[in-house]
Formats: sequence, C-alpha cells, structure tokens
Amino acid sequence: MARRASIDHDVHEVVGAKRWSAGRIARIATMSFIAVLFIFPIVGFVAVAFRSNEGVANGSDGFLGLGGLSIDNVIYSWSQVIGYGGDGNRGVFLEWMGNSLFVSIGGAILAVIAAIPAGYALARLRFRFRRTVLVVTLLTMVMPNTVLVIPLFLEVNAVGAIGQLWPVLVIMGFFPFGVYLSYIHFMTTLPPELVEAARIDGLGEVAIFFQVATPISRQAIALVTFFSFVANWTNFFLPLALLTSNFNGKTVSIGIQDLIGSSPLFNPTTAAGLDVKLYMPQLALATFVTMLPLLVVFIGAQRFLMRGQTVGAVKG
Amino acid sequence: MTTGIAGTTRAPERRRTAAGRRRVLRRIETRGAWTLLSPYIVLLLIAGVIPIGYALFVSLQKTPTNLEPNLSGFGGIDAFVTAFTDYRFLQTFANVFSVLIIWLPLMIIGIVGMALLVHASPGRFGNAMRFIYYIPGALAGVANLMLWVYLLNPAQSPIGGFWHALGFETIKAVVASPGTLPPILTAMLFFQGIGTWVVIVNGGLNGIPDEIFEAASIDGANAWNLAWRIKIPLIRPWIGYAALMNLAYGFQLFLEPYLLDQVAGGALPDQYTPTQLGFWFAFANSNFPAAAAMSLVVLVITLGIGLIIVFRSGLFGEEEK
Repeated sequence: MARRASIDHDVHEVVGAKRWSAGRIARIATMSFIAVLFIFPIVGFVAVAFRSNEGVANGSDGFLGLGGLSIDNVIYSWSQVIGYGGDGNRGVFLEWMGNSLFVSIGGAILAVIAAIPAGYALARLRFRFRRTVLVVTLLTMVMPNTVLVIPLFLEVNAVGAIGQLWPVLVIMGFFPFGVYLSYIHFMTTLPPELVEAARIDGLGEVAIFFQVATPISRQAIALVTFFSFVANWTNFFLPLALLTSNFNGKTVSIGIQDLIGSSPLFNPTTAAGLDVKLYMPQLALATFVTMLPLLVVFIGAQRFLMRGQTVGAVKG
Repeated sequence: MTTGIAGTTRAPERRRTAAGRRRVLRRIETRGAWTLLSPYIVLLLIAGVIPIGYALFVSLQKTPTNLEPNLSGFGGIDAFVTAFTDYRFLQTFANVFSVLIIWLPLMIIGIVGMALLVHASPGRFGNAMRFIYYIPGALAGVANLMLWVYLLNPAQSPIGGFWHALGFETIKAVVASPGTLPPILTAMLFFQGIGTWVVIVNGGLNGIPDEIFEAASIDGANAWNLAWRIKIPLIRPWIGYAALMNLAYGFQLFLEPYLLDQVAGGALPDQYTPTQLGFWFAFANSNFPAAAAMSLVVLVITLGIGLIIVFRSGLFGEEEK
C-alpha cells in the first residue's frame, strides 16, 4: 500500500499532473464523459425493471425513467415472469435459474479440480510433452469457445445425451484459461527449491502437490472459480445447442430467449396465446435477476481479483 | 585376478545404478505429472480433442436425404462442397468482414486511448474510472442484448430522439434497415468488450518500469510524447494480442445477430454469420456433415489466429522456450 502511494506520488511529479493544466482538465473531462456514457444506459435499463408497462411504452417517467420506479411494478412484473410456462410449467423461470446454478457451480468445481493440479504439474514438473500440453492449453484458451459447440453437439448427440444437463456441466469443466491461471500462479509463488526439498524429504510427487502446493493455492482457486463461473453462467451457444429440446431443462441464458420470443413486443402471435404479458419491464426484471448471481460472485471474488489483477488480465 | 575383475565391473555398475536412480526419479516425476494432469487431460479429450476428431469424421460422411434417411458411409469432400457452394457461404464471411472493418479499428483505438487515459490518471480517480469502464463487460451475452433491445427501441430508448431523427419508428426498422446492422453490432460488441481490454492493456502499461518514464521526462517529454513515443511502442504486443483476439471473436459471432433477428421479428438474414450457417445446417436442415464441415472451417480460421497469438505475439514468450 505504501509502495503504491509512493509510486503514485512519483508519477504525479513526473507528469506534472498536480497542476490544473489544460491537458489534465481535458483528460478528466474525457474520462468522466465516457464513464457517463457507460453508466447511463445501464441505470436506465435497470430502471425499466422497476417501471410500469405504460410508463415504459409511453416513454414517460422523466429522466432515464427514474421518476416511475415503484415496488408494486416489480411485484407485478415478477408475477408475470414467474407465471410464464403455462399450467404445467408455472415457475419454469426458477427451474432455469436452478439449472444454470447447477451447471455453473458444477462446471466451476470441475474446472478447479482439473486446473489446479494441471497448472502445478506444468509449472513445476519436468516430463516429456510438457510443452505440447502447454501449447494446446494456450491455443484452446485463446480460441473462442463457441467454435467447438457444433462438434460438441455432434459428440453429445452420438451418445444420446442431448437435453440433459450433465454433458453441459462436464464440458464447462474444461477450462484451459483456468489451467493457465494456475500455471502462472505456481510459476510466480512456488519456488522450485521447495519442491526439490520436499522430494529429498521423500515425499511422492502427488503428495508434494497436496502438502506443498495446495496450501498456497487459495488465490488461484478463487480466480479459477470466479472466471469459470462467470463464463458458465453467461454461456449461451453451448446450452442453446444441447438443451433447447428440453423446455424444463434449459439454463436461464437460453430461457431468456424464450421470454423474448413470447413477448407481444416482438412476437404478437405467440404472445396472444399466453396468460402472462411479458413487456419490457418484465424482460428487464428477468434479465436483472439473472445478473444477481454474477454480482454475488463478483463481490465475493473482488479482493482476489484486485490482488491478481495482472494475472487475471490476460484473458478477454 | 578376482579382485581385478571385481574392480573393473564395480565402477560401471555403480555408474549404471546412478543413471538408473536418475531414470527412476525421472519416471516417478513423469508418472506424478501425468497423474496430476489426468483430470484435465480427460476433460481436454472429452471437450476438445474428441469432438474435433469426430466432427472431422462426420464431415467426411454422406448426407442422409429425405429419400434415404439412413444413408451413411464415406462421402469424401461432399459435405465441404455443400457448405462452400451454399449461396449464403460467401455472404456470411462478407458480413463478418463488414462488421470487423468498422469494429476492429474502433475497438483498438478505444482500448489504447482509454488504457492510456487510465494510466495517465494514477490514484483513486483512475481506479474508479477503470472500474466503471469494466462494468458493461459484466453484462455479457444475453444481458447485453436485452440492454441493447432497450437502447435500440425508438419508443422507449433514452436515445429515442436519435432514432427518430434518422427516421426509425420501430426497433425492427432500426435493426433491419439496410446498412444499420454492422454499426449496431459494432456498438454492442464495443460496449461489452472494451472494459476487459482496458484492464488488460492497462496491466501491460503498469508492467513498464517507472524509470523509463522518469528518464523520458528528464529528457523533456510531456504527457503526449510519453504516450505516443514511449507507452504505445512498449505495449505493442498487448495491442497485437487485443487485435488478434477480437479478430478471432469476430469470426464466431452468433448470439447478437441470432437474437436481434428474433427481436426484429425475423426481418434480418437468418444466417448472417458463418456460425449461424453451421447452426442452421445442424438444426434446421439436419445436415450434420455440412454442419461439421462449416464448424471446421471456422475452427481452422480461429486456430490460425490462435497460433499467431501463441507463437508470434511475444506475450507467451516464456512458454515458447
């Protein structure tokens, strides 16, 4: 902390930013303006979830719609979201949330179980094909994961598991970025001498991992869990390909698509046959609810994210 | 005599055992490594290697038809011919290029510009700004889409006046009018992606030793010189990394055009991107060989970009050795 402060101080002096020069004012004004551009749409969108259909449709409710917020609107909108699914499937939205939690948490646990020992082995053990495994990991890490979805669909289809959650969970457990994070973690925090010393003490390789490496891997575990959970929760194409055929078995990311498709705003014919009305406030509320788990893990992981910023920053 | 023999045999024996010990240790280490890697390797096989191999196999099969639903067997490159000669094939890539040509330059300028601004603002203000720029990145995927449904609908958007001025009265008109989709996709991808990249490139800037900046300012460099002559050249690997990652991302676009089509009541081209075309082959056309072929085409492109990133960007130098 002290170090950080002194660096800040130095840079201030170096750049001469302490004075209110024209350049400094322009910089702060530009950055604040961009920040406003980024924040306003989000505030306005979240506000929609707290407004009434009429207010949103008429574009009233004042600046960003902030004049039309009320808890009654939320209660009504939630009753519509939760009522979606018809007689047999009322509350399917909560089922979708549950499915998303199941595959996202399960996938994250699997990712941690696979990534921590793999990252350690790549960082601190010498074996043939080490470089091959590393290059394959980096390649799969930098490639967008959607390119594999159709091949994965064909594979899961071949074993007859389309519409089931467990293949999605297992596939989400494959998280090469987590292996890379873990690899960097052990490269930077675990001195090779420590491993060598444990070897001389007669510990086996697997025992060294559990007794020497695991106790110092909290940071890596937190980061892998966080990034994997977020990637799993927001994953759209994989569940779309594997779970669309099972109405109750969807994740909420593709469930939202059903809600959009049932909105009188975009699909009047389908919407006419429903006993719930999903206008923009209801859709915004549903979206807002799907964001809450991300908010929770973000707050939970924040101190780890701050510490591991440079490491975490490698992946887009 | 006997001692002589013993003497001559003994030394190599000891050497052999020493070498043997090393070999045994090596073997123990190798076995330990593969034991620790095994969960990851299993997942790599299930979710990476096997599907690619299987897609290759499927792409070389004959395509079942309505008349012969059980048709199978080796079909050579038929499926690739089907994909390549599809009337939408070239169009999907043209569409991706039409998005990339606007989005990529803006994205790179935005990333570098904002990262430099954040880096020039040490302390609380810069940190707060970096955090704010990062927030839209949390609205990934469907959430970002819903946000844009709100922004793109002239009736309720805070920028409704802008859409009205352009003569658009409905979200369908906004999204499906000629030429609007590439800029809209650009805006969506920019908003969603910029924050993470600002954090990444800012991380690269933070890695530059302060002595360099000190030396430059002693030589009389002002903030502009510092950014233009020192910072940008030093973070060139990060800029290249960002450009290539985003380029690869562009080739797999799916969610945004797919869902915007739904929001526009089907007024957009259903197969706007290569991935959408592959999806169509698999799910609308049930032509698995063509779907596999299409996915392999996109896979090869992104793999090529990935190879450049890993071996040429200079960011993974440690791993290359």
